[in-house]
Amino acid sequence: MSSPSSLVRLIARRELVERGRDRSFLVSTVITLLVVVGLAVVPQLVGGGPDRFDVGVTPAAGVDADALRAGGRALDLRVDVRETDPAAAQRQVRDGDLDAALLAPGQVVVDRELDPVLRAVLEQVDGAARGQARLAAAGLDPAAVSTALAVPPLQVQAQEPRSEAATTREGIARVGTFVLYFQLIGYGFWVALGVVEEKSSRVVEVLLATVPARTLLAGKVLGIGLLGLLQLVLIAVVGLVAATASGAVELGASAAYPIALVLGWFVLGFAFYATAMAGMAARVSRQEDLQNVTGPFTLLLVLSFFGSLYATSNPDSLVTRVLSVAPPFSALVNPPRMAIGDAALWEVGLAVLLMLAAVCGLVVVAGRLYEGSVLRTGSKVGLRDAWRAGAR
Amino acid sequence: MLELRGLTKRFGATTALDGLSLTVRPGEVCGFVGQNGAGKTTAMRLVLGVLEPDAGEVCWQGAPVDALVRRRTGYMPEERGLYPKMRVGDQLRYLGRLHGLTGERVSQSTTQLLADLQIQAREGDVLESLSLGNQQRVQLAAALVHDPELLVLDEPFSGLDPVGVEVLAAALRARVDRGVPVLFSSHQLELVERLCDTVAIVRTGRVVAAGTVDELRGGGRARRLRVRVEGGAPRWPSGVRDLGDGLLELADHVDDQAVLDAARLAGPVREFTPVRPTLTDLFREVVAA
Repeated sequence: MSSPSSLVRLIARRELVERGRDRSFLVSTVITLLVVVGLAVVPQLVGGGPDRFDVGVTPAAGVDADALRAGGRALDLRVDVRETDPAAAQRQVRDGDLDAALLAPGQVVVDRELDPVLRAVLEQVDGAARGQARLAAAGLDPAAVSTALAVPPLQVQAQEPRSEAATTREGIARVGTFVLYFQLIGYGFWVALGVVEEKSSRVVEVLLATVPARTLLAGKVLGIGLLGLLQLVLIAVVGLVAATASGAVELGASAAYPIALVLGWFVLGFAFYATAMAGMAARVSRQEDLQNVTGPFTLLLVLSFFGSLYATSNPDSLVTRVLSVAPPFSALVNPPRMAIGDAALWEVGLAVLLMLAAVCGLVVVAGRLYEGSVLRTGSKVGLRDAWRAGAR
Repeated sequence: MLELRGLTKRFGATTALDGLSLTVRPGEVCGFVGQNGAGKTTAMRLVLGVLEPDAGEVCWQGAPVDALVRRRTGYMPEERGLYPKMRVGDQLRYLGRLHGLTGERVSQSTTQLLADLQIQAREGDVLESLSLGNQQRVQLAAALVHDPELLVLDEPFSGLDPVGVEVLAAALRARVDRGVPVLFSSHQLELVERLCDTVAIVRTGRVVAAGTVDELRGGGRARRLRVRVEGGAPRWPSGVRDLGDGLLELADHVDDQAVLDAARLAGPVREFTPVRPTLTDLFREVVAA
């Protein structure tokens, strides 16, 4: 019962249970889930499906309703055509019943402005109608004119066609990296807060009388990390279900890959940042001083996040390639690089190895800082002091 | 038996402990007294391994104290500390498990202690919602929950009302009667005098006086009498020093009955009491010396 691993388990369980039951944790979980569901569903509701326009046509306009509908379809619009007369058209446009009305050849009325895509459709259809009318007026056979003008549409040949799978991967990687960033910054800071909480409430002295400092630190990092991982899995499941239901993505290997990347990199990234922040946090006794000592690592995270944004749009650039394997940037840059870019599998292996090495080094350093400063309440303990005091 | 042997601890240029030695026997309550900064808290932290000594050692049953012994020790630090937002019962069970208790025993021990300390109604409340006095009771419960073999309590009674003191003292007494040695520090000297079997007075990192209160009182100290006589001034036998305000100090050879006779010659005697120094008096003398 007194083995270090059972102590770590006890401590981790306390962190998990006490924090899991915390109101602010529950609230933040609900908010995060809502945001993720929003990200998955809203674009489908708003941007999903073709844009729809109501267009009125007077007999004088001389435009064929079918041609108008077909012109809309060609540009991914749904155009509903209604017969109207000039007076009614003015009113319907003003009331918003119609988005535009063709009154006469070359004449369109709108309330405020004409949507640019709809304008292209109207110009093309109106232009064709007027051209036909002129040719007919010049004595040509309208049927022959139609046939002559009916050319087949442009043939597009994609050299590397963008697959549905790649789109899914990219979408999930974008959202996933975003969530990963907040998860790392939130839970890393939570560990720091927990360390200071134990220090400022002095409970740490009771604990250290029975538990070695590093065991206490390990249990705390593990417990909070596990909670973060569970929350991340919950976010992934709920987000996927929502995105699948709304038709944004299709479940399958292309969805699993970026999710696995994000979950895996949470584990590594959290190990890095949580350990670092715990070591730094042990040096202060008040929450107010926390920002001050954890600042450098928060900055690293923010920089990594900008790196990941850059990587999503430039997944194959040299900067992305370097950042995606260099710890600790790899935590946030590797997932988009692997999911979106043209990356070989060994890259993720190398990134993981380097990050593991960094974490191992950090555990030694941060553990020593923690040990050397966690009992010294009062003013901030200097880095050198903490390092020296942790040497015993 | 707990032995502190020649403990020395320096913090930079300050010497907190300077060869402090002390023994607490089974079933004995040792009061650890001294001015602020004398080294009491540092000594206790060394016993618990929260700090490491620069020299000297702490022994339990003849062998140096190790992690196993420390897990069977109950500790109440000077700076109170428990999780403010954790429920009282959960908190005690958690600390019990950290100290190696398992399964049913944790729950039984927690329930029993909360009842003994008369806070069973607060088991499900978070700590910070309790009054300071009740938080102090929980703190003692945290030191006792794993049924320790040794108790080290830094200022366990500070800030408690008389009822709280009685409840805590009774809980401690029950342990002592089972043979648990207790080392506790306090500034409340009347309390120490009442509860402790032995006292150790510490000054600038050393124990300067130790023993039972009676032993500390005796040991070459001159007897004192308080005498009140109505009327004239008595002629005291030789060897009696009048300290004023009716207080007399008697040299070794002086018979107190001769003093009484001298008093009665001068007039009716209204008071004639041997004066035994209180721990407070002893403390003042030792610390001022």
